[in-house]
Amino acid sequence: MNDETFLNERINVVAVFGEGLNPCRPIRFRRPNGREIEVSEIGLRHPSTQGKRIIHVFDVTDGGADYRLEFDSERLTWHLKMESDHYD
Amino acid sequence: MTEFNNERPFIMHVDLNSCFATVEQQARPMLRGKPVAIVNRRTDTTAIVTASYEAKVLGVKVGMKLREARLLCPDIIGLESDPAKYRFVYHKLLDIMHDYSAHVTMKSIDEGVIDFHDTTAAIRGRNLEDIGLEIKERLKTEIGVWMRCNVGISTNRFLAKTAAGLHKPDGLDIITPGNLREVLKTLKLTDLTGIAGRNEKRLNSVGIYTPIDFLNADVVTLQKVVFKSVVGQWWYKRLRGWEVDDVESDVKRVGRQYVLESFDLSYEQILQRLHHLCESVGSRMRAQNKAARGIYVYAKTLDRTYWHASSMSQIAFCSDQTVFVQAQRLFENAPTNMREIGIHCYELENIDDPQLSLFKDQIVRERQITGAIDDINKQFGERTIHSADTLGTGIYVKQKVPFGSTRYL
Repeated sequence: MNDETFLNERINVVAVFGEGLNPCRPIRFRRPNGREIEVSEIGLRHPSTQGKRIIHVFDVTDGGADYRLEFDSERLTWHLKMESDHYD
Repeated sequence: MTEFNNERPFIMHVDLNSCFATVEQQARPMLRGKPVAIVNRRTDTTAIVTASYEAKVLGVKVGMKLREARLLCPDIIGLESDPAKYRFVYHKLLDIMHDYSAHVTMKSIDEGVIDFHDTTAAIRGRNLEDIGLEIKERLKTEIGVWMRCNVGISTNRFLAKTAAGLHKPDGLDIITPGNLREVLKTLKLTDLTGIAGRNEKRLNSVGIYTPIDFLNADVVTLQKVVFKSVVGQWWYKRLRGWEVDDVESDVKRVGRQYVLESFDLSYEQILQRLHHLCESVGSRMRAQNKAARGIYVYAKTLDRTYWHASSMSQIAFCSDQTVFVQAQRLFENAPTNMREIGIHCYELENIDDPQLSLFKDQIVRERQITGAIDDINKQFGERTIHSADTLGTGIYVKQKVPFGSTRYL
């Protein structure tokens, strides 16, 4: 069973900007309901565009569910766009 | 008689395994190890575009309907395709391949060919098998740990692709004159790229039933009896490792098709979807700086009949409105109970070609308007400006990944 929930939540994110192939790494985020999620792995980071605005899409997991985070590089905002879990 | 090409193998074919499914499993770790099917629309009747290896093991095949796949594999996870993700991986793969040679040709979104003939001496001096392993490793470090690819090395594109298909997933094989016969013995005729039903029948008709029979056939039989053209000679050379497929094709037509989301739509609703396709085709043509003179529309019906109509214009056109007006006129004779609709523009020419025309002013004005609309859409996102007629169609007719062409990636 595939259980995807599409969201558009503004979230608070702790991210590390460092070196290497993935210079920006979100490590934790807090949802509007107060729930905090620790990122255990970044599956993929890819850019997407909305016109000329670059949105960086981070597909991440906490080991229990997958999440899709979007970072708007013009407005410097983070949104949680999707949560998917309960694959079994 | 042409002998085998004995030069050092300098062609490498790189093929991402079950590309879209693997990319989704990379992006979403909870999907790893589970049967996944990528579809363009998540309905039971949609066809599977890519299946993960876990699904393939259970008999799920590309092209199968999601409903059929569920019978074989009740736990299969159907995901809607996400073109931006695959485009990113495509560009990453292209970047990696370009590090080894300037002569890289992407054959589609998930496979490409590196020609090492004219690369630097330092790279030519390396063992190509090592480079193949390095590319595999770089995919893992630069994209993600779940990424895998098949690598095939040989003296021409055809044998390199054949080599890449020998050990899926994650294989690396080399075909040389020394092992060619051994490799061909393990394959069926239809395993060879370019040999499907019709060519198989042609070959069978002269007693060629296996790739070894094909290899043993003489050039005269292939050219005069089997293929009845120079194609026979090409096959003769191709099987012996000589390059005959190093050709660039020009854009000949631009088109789109759409399977209706529901089969009880009114004629007006179908026309709206056709209009959406026309806008998409118009924008693709202009992005390639092309205008068309020919237009072709088709429809497939629920009772599996195929209807089509076409027309040619004196003057080349590229605006969405002109494409739609012509398509709409042709569509007046379309059958009822449509299941799928499609449109192609052909006889393409460069927009900049200065043509004297009685309607020059009108054309210039039209091109200025479409140019302004394209600029706005480029700045603020696709379909920021579009016809009011297609206001509600965007949620159905989505932009998907074009297979077999990398022109729009």
